[in-house]
Amino acid sequence: MAPDIDYLALAPEITLAVTAVVVLLLDLFLPRRQKYWTAIVAVLGVSFAALPLIALAVSDVGDRAMLGGSFVVDDFALVLKGLFVIAGYLVLLMSVGYVESDRYYQGEYYFLLLMSILGSMVLASSRDLITLFIAVELVSQPMYLLAGWRKGDLRSNEASLKYFLLGVLASALLLYGMSFVYGLTGELTFAGIAAEGAGKAGEPAFIMAILFIIAGFGFKVSAVPFHFWAPDTYEGAPTPVAAYLSVSSKAAGFVALLVVLYSAFPDASGVWGPAVWILAALSMTLANLTALRQTNIVRLLAYSSVAQAGFMLVPFAAAATTDAVGLGEAFAATVTYIVIYAFMNLGAFAVVIAGARKTGTGDIEGWGGLGSYAPALGALAAVFFFSLAGIPPLAGWIAKLVMFGAAMGAGSPWMIALAVIAAINAVIALVYYARVVKTIWMDPVPATAPEEEVRTASVAGSLGLAIGLSAAVVVVAGFFPSLVTFFSDATKVLAGG
Amino acid sequence: MTELVLFFIFGALALVGGLTVVAARNPVHSAMGLMLTLFSLAVFYVVQAAHFVAAVQVIVYAGAVMTLFLFVIMLIGVDKAENLSETIRLQRPLVVLVGLTVVVVGVFVAVGGRFAWITGVVGAGPEVNGTAEAIGDDLFTTWLLPFEATSLLLIIASAGALALAFFRPRRREGKEEGAP
Amino acid sequence: MDGWDVAIVIVKVLVVFALLLAATILLVWIERKVVADMQNRIGPERAGPWGILQTLADGLKLLFKEQIRPNKVEVGMYLLAPVLTLLPAFLIFMVIPIGVPFTVTLGGVERVVSMQGTDLNVGLLYILAMSSLAVYAVVLAGWSSGSKYPLLGGVRATAQAISYEAAMGLALVPVVFYAGSLSISEIVAAQSGTWGGIVPRWNIVPLFLSFVIFFIAIIAETNRAPFDLVEAEQEIVGGFHTEYSGFRFACFFLAEYINMFNMSAIAATLFLGGWNGPTFGLTGFVSWLLPIIYFFIKTFVLIFIFMWVRATLPRFRYDQLMTLGWKRLIPAALLWLVLSAVVVGWRQFGAPWT
Repeated sequence: MAPDIDYLALAPEITLAVTAVVVLLLDLFLPRRQKYWTAIVAVLGVSFAALPLIALAVSDVGDRAMLGGSFVVDDFALVLKGLFVIAGYLVLLMSVGYVESDRYYQGEYYFLLLMSILGSMVLASSRDLITLFIAVELVSQPMYLLAGWRKGDLRSNEASLKYFLLGVLASALLLYGMSFVYGLTGELTFAGIAAEGAGKAGEPAFIMAILFIIAGFGFKVSAVPFHFWAPDTYEGAPTPVAAYLSVSSKAAGFVALLVVLYSAFPDASGVWGPAVWILAALSMTLANLTALRQTNIVRLLAYSSVAQAGFMLVPFAAAATTDAVGLGEAFAATVTYIVIYAFMNLGAFAVVIAGARKTGTGDIEGWGGLGSYAPALGALAAVFFFSLAGIPPLAGWIAKLVMFGAAMGAGSPWMIALAVIAAINAVIALVYYARVVKTIWMDPVPATAPEEEVRTASVAGSLGLAIGLSAAVVVVAGFFPSLVTFFSDATKVLAGG
Repeated sequence: MTELVLFFIFGALALVGGLTVVAARNPVHSAMGLMLTLFSLAVFYVVQAAHFVAAVQVIVYAGAVMTLFLFVIMLIGVDKAENLSETIRLQRPLVVLVGLTVVVVGVFVAVGGRFAWITGVVGAGPEVNGTAEAIGDDLFTTWLLPFEATSLLLIIASAGALALAFFRPRRREGKEEGAP
Repeated sequence: MDGWDVAIVIVKVLVVFALLLAATILLVWIERKVVADMQNRIGPERAGPWGILQTLADGLKLLFKEQIRPNKVEVGMYLLAPVLTLLPAFLIFMVIPIGVPFTVTLGGVERVVSMQGTDLNVGLLYILAMSSLAVYAVVLAGWSSGSKYPLLGGVRATAQAISYEAAMGLALVPVVFYAGSLSISEIVAAQSGTWGGIVPRWNIVPLFLSFVIFFIAIIAETNRAPFDLVEAEQEIVGGFHTEYSGFRFACFFLAEYINMFNMSAIAATLFLGGWNGPTFGLTGFVSWLLPIIYFFIKTFVLIFIFMWVRATLPRFRYDQLMTLGWKRLIPAALLWLVLSAVVVGWRQFGAPWT
């Protein structure tokens, strides 16, 4: 009895796994001065993993399901896998200069990063509880370790510990909910759960299980009130890792939430709809208000990413109250938001890395006058921060637009209320994003700034490439939104639309 | 009938063990409480004809994990009393409140569902086969992917733990640790 | 399952109990004699012929000695540890077949009685599980004594047990490959017969490396010289049992020898064909007795090697112990495991390209 495996469908994952193992072995045999080869291999491996994705996208076989429907490669999975590969690629580029300049364990660093990317790829395809859970762990576990990678720094230790403890708690909640679901339905695949759980939406145990699952993923996407780890972890972790946490790890959590709620509990939308509504409203409001008071740029980005998670949750809440077409729209809206957010947030973090090199600090005050001695970097910072705020014509505007469209499209008074909350929050967010840009361009250079040669030193090539790529996507997608919506529309398949 | 009797005996033991873990002042006693709980679980598996899982439970948890716990407890010293004073005000009462809520909700779920959710379980009849062969068949066909992914998780854990715990002698000072 | 079946089980348990106690008494005497001989001494010779009753005398002495309980002990665990050390020691032997089954008519029904406590379908894992429990007694004894030398012994025991359990488990996997089962009786059955009529089909022939690794690991698991760091007299007085005296000490002593016997029996069963051996065409009672004799001969040969090693090798240093376990035995066991997996898979499914 052989397992049924479609090797082409698994090829991206296999490529990444092999690359990771090669990196680990390479690290064992390379002399210390040549460890940078591990970075090259890692970047190459991620690039190669994109090739089978393209092959799968152009092949006309349609959806590929294997292992009894546990692993499905459809358009939805392909789009998100593509996103994860590109985001992983950008984070790798950001890491190269960062990791080399410190006393890092390069081989292990890239190995863990690759493993996390692999986890998110598996996650996009998993259609049963066990595969999903293992994939979620595969995404998070390397991050627990990488958050503490700056071993000499107490804040990094704190970051790792906080993330680990809360992450494990989240996993426990998740598992608890999943075990309830399995007990209630006797099924593990989402299709089976949806079929078995059709009439059980009102059962208290079922409701509890769904709430547990939402809470578990709430930690992963750092939605309020499960966000406490995020600011401390982002601040203490190496910045590329924080970027990865805020983009890929968060997107992975969203994908998991999306797939579980829509595929496994379509009939229980009366349960998870309101729950998501509350999460979305709380995340946007509380995180934005807290972000106003932040003085550290990374902490500010952390709270901003929590708030953005709230925006991403809005279409979820909308989907609970609409029909199949609206469901598809909500789907596309969330995915659009995730894709655009990924690029602008990665760009923002990359700018922060470069800016911290020049200013020698993470405090926003210390960034005064950055625009005067590094105009290009200042301009790019403005691009990313304004895009995060949703200023047209940058891509963030499109994201906000489709989000509001989904919320208003649902039409119910609750959704309109949520849309109003989101609109107020978008204005609040503009304040703190604009404040950073104002500091960079209008404030004088502070006395504590490092000397001239540090400030004008050129940005590392790979980091520059990462910034450039993200900026290009953010600007171009702002003018040609169909670039993104073409892909996100494809994800409507999950809704059956 | 045997199953029921065993369930109550070892269920009670598992609970006692769990309470010991939380309540015991001495970490070694806590570890032994955990050990008791894990062992009771192994007995449950035996009762359910899952011999393989039971054996693995004892080997992995009792044999490796708990031994390691004990090792660590002994290595860092067991005589230090834990400081139990709370620094955050209202934390204790809040915890009690939340805990009680969970209990109440749990009871509500059990009663409100009128135990209907227990019947949802696949009947544990004679078709349940917990032998190594049956588990191997499932593990290497249907659950091949999670199985392989789990093996990756183990590599992650070991590689990462080594990298975090092991300090190489410093060669040169890096950049200041404070900057992001 | 009627009353007779229950009776058979009870008899089996009693037989195992008596067998292990008798074996211990014999073992201690043999060990003292063998080691004495290797060191050009005479050894015990006063109690009974050739001193064979010496162990009995020692045991009686320990029974009647005062049991000192130091002030600083953690009473519960301190009293529990000696009991805990005996439990797995007796339980392990329950799954080892010492001979071929025989039939007996009881209550009008003909019953097959296997020469094995019980035949679990996960027998091998059961052995591993029980042997991993054995370390708790040592650890708890060391910790609860409230004294530093026992504590050191306990910590050493934990580290050693974890390290060598891994190697031991890995070394056993190829045996499972070859037998295709985890049941001990089937593993023995798979070793019957010969290759070309001369070489017995014992696992030791194709799996010699496994046997070596397993044997080293069981010496470490039983805390015998040269791996007796747990009770190294010159370094940490008596190790974990420093604070024990009288009957409680006797429990530890007993468990150590039972474990040695158990482990030798397991090694004989898994690698030396168990009770398999030439029957010379004999039938009836003799053909039933011969396998038992073969089993004990094999076991005692291995026990002799145990003693031989003890008399020959000096004790390992702690770092050497860890190096041997983690950097030599485990990688070797892993490689060997992969190799034998390939061989077995090749034989079973044919070459990968066909």
